[in-house]
Amino acid sequence: MTAHLDLNDVSVSFNGFKAINGLNMRVRKGELRCLIGPNGAGKTTALDIICGKVKPSGGTVTFAGTALQDLEEYEIARAGVGRKFQVPSVFRELTVGENLEVARARRTSVVGNLRWDVRNAGGAHVERLAELVGLTEQLDRPAAYLSHGQTQWLEIGMLVAQDAELILMDEPTAGMTAQETRKTAELFARLKGRHTLIVVEHDMGFVKAIGDVISVMHMGQMLAEGTAAEVEAHPEVRRAYLGSGGISHA
Amino acid sequence: MSLNGSTSNGLQRLTAQLAPLLIVCALVFALPVLLNNDFLLNKVARYLVLGILTISLGLSWGFGGILNLGQAMSFGLGSYAMAMALKLKTIPVHTGASGLPDFMVWNNVQALPWFWVPFRSLPFAIAAGMIVPALVAAALGWFMFRGRVTGVYVSIITLATMVVINLVIIDQQSYTGGFNGITDLAQLEIFGVAFDAYGRATYYLVAGCMMLSLLVAFAFTKSRAGLIVQAIRDHESRVRYFGYDVALYQIFVFALSAAIAGLAGMLYTVVMEFASPTFLGVQLSLSVVVWCAVGGRQSLVGSFLGAVLVAGMQGALSESAAFLETWTLVMGALFVLVVLFLPKGLAGLAQVVWRWIVQRRQAAGGVAQGVGQTEGST
Repeated sequence: MTAHLDLNDVSVSFNGFKAINGLNMRVRKGELRCLIGPNGAGKTTALDIICGKVKPSGGTVTFAGTALQDLEEYEIARAGVGRKFQVPSVFRELTVGENLEVARARRTSVVGNLRWDVRNAGGAHVERLAELVGLTEQLDRPAAYLSHGQTQWLEIGMLVAQDAELILMDEPTAGMTAQETRKTAELFARLKGRHTLIVVEHDMGFVKAIGDVISVMHMGQMLAEGTAAEVEAHPEVRRAYLGSGGISHA
Repeated sequence: MSLNGSTSNGLQRLTAQLAPLLIVCALVFALPVLLNNDFLLNKVARYLVLGILTISLGLSWGFGGILNLGQAMSFGLGSYAMAMALKLKTIPVHTGASGLPDFMVWNNVQALPWFWVPFRSLPFAIAAGMIVPALVAAALGWFMFRGRVTGVYVSIITLATMVVINLVIIDQQSYTGGFNGITDLAQLEIFGVAFDAYGRATYYLVAGCMMLSLLVAFAFTKSRAGLIVQAIRDHESRVRYFGYDVALYQIFVFALSAAIAGLAGMLYTVVMEFASPTFLGVQLSLSVVVWCAVGGRQSLVGSFLGAVLVAGMQGALSESAAFLETWTLVMGALFVLVVLFLPKGLAGLAQVVWRWIVQRRQAAGGVAQGVGQTEGST
């Protein structure tokens, strides 16, 4: 079986500190993989490497047969990788609708985008997306006026708009209410299968609700992989979380 | 507000945004009917040209987030392109068909330099007046934006580049006229129409170019590419992760802005009847930033009006006896006040006032006619 995404012996160091040290990870097509681990384990850095924000100092990242490690960020995005950031990153001065429109990057060249959408062909699509993330009422408002939870939803909506094959989510439910978190879990269940997802999360309830396979990182390496029960019982994982009350309380 | 009315909503919004632009253009075109004074008309034409220059800065600064402190560089290059062509037109009259421009004769230049030769053709000069600034900007932008230079460093680099080109022009007196610039020009003549600096034809030429610049800039900001450029202004790195090559978009808007500034420069030569190194000087370049900020950099019409109003005021103040010495202080105070209290400039103020009026009227209408009056409220 060939993996959709394959991280092979990836390393990266910041000023001599090895944030990622010989990381291996393989994700199947259509899988929803949760990535957990104690603070500083290198989860966000792992996502940064996949989407090109950080260049690995060693190892290879292969996605659908394409080597990503030497590509520019926009080339990686064009290869089918989407990323949601830990700090919600949207275009604050643009309206919600415009944010979704920018994310719907079917055409990426400058000349190809020198066109007017007077008939507003993308409008219906944008409205559907806004409905999906519950922002219909806010379509014409600048994103700066959204609440934190709504901003998170907007960025998730933008990733759905982008329609990337591989979606990387960094703490998508941070700052959300319990109800919002539950809605997010439902949305992710719908995305699973059509997209390959990697989700970094701290909320174990959320992880158990959405994840098939959980990968645990520690000190820049892969510590364990398996179902929630397997991972919780894993002695190395228990040791890694020692003093923090186990992974359910991380 | 209706959910499925996005098509008509989009068109409605577009018309609403186009309206102030067309009103301003109509006023500009109507002015000569009211103002029967060729001297004043020439003065207004000058302010209109500066307005075009400020539109170009609004495009790159307000929409692209690129604060180009060297916007006058493109302006100056355009101005020199026109001046070179018009200077060469004087040769047969002044010195015979094989002669040289007067300042070259004074500087003992033996033959017309190679880069002057193509300017014998006016169409070439007009094209060059826009293409050369655009290419220079694209080349500079290629280095800056590929290297991910942002913010204040862009401002420093653009300002420094302009100063370098300014110094080169002053230094190469035998080829550029040096500190004196290029003076004593022929009149621009297109399709048999002569553009006397104090004639109505020139005013309408400037007004037409101003309308064209506004419409081109407006069309760009309303295109998808224009939307992406604004997204880059808000959050540059985020745009990359959607697959857009950010540097190409920045280079494009930077070059488009330079081309419009080049057009303004050409017109300035026609209106002023000379080209001078001060046209790409620091003082003008920084003034453009003030005009743009006062008018509202995120509004094209605002930028334009900011330039016309403030430059007009500058002209009036510097000529009045009371403010002869202190008009720069007045301008400085104005700039500080706008930055402090009107971050979106006069255009932002107009928006707030307009929204307030609409809301007032709706509140009144809502009482009288009940609901159903909210259509088109946003």
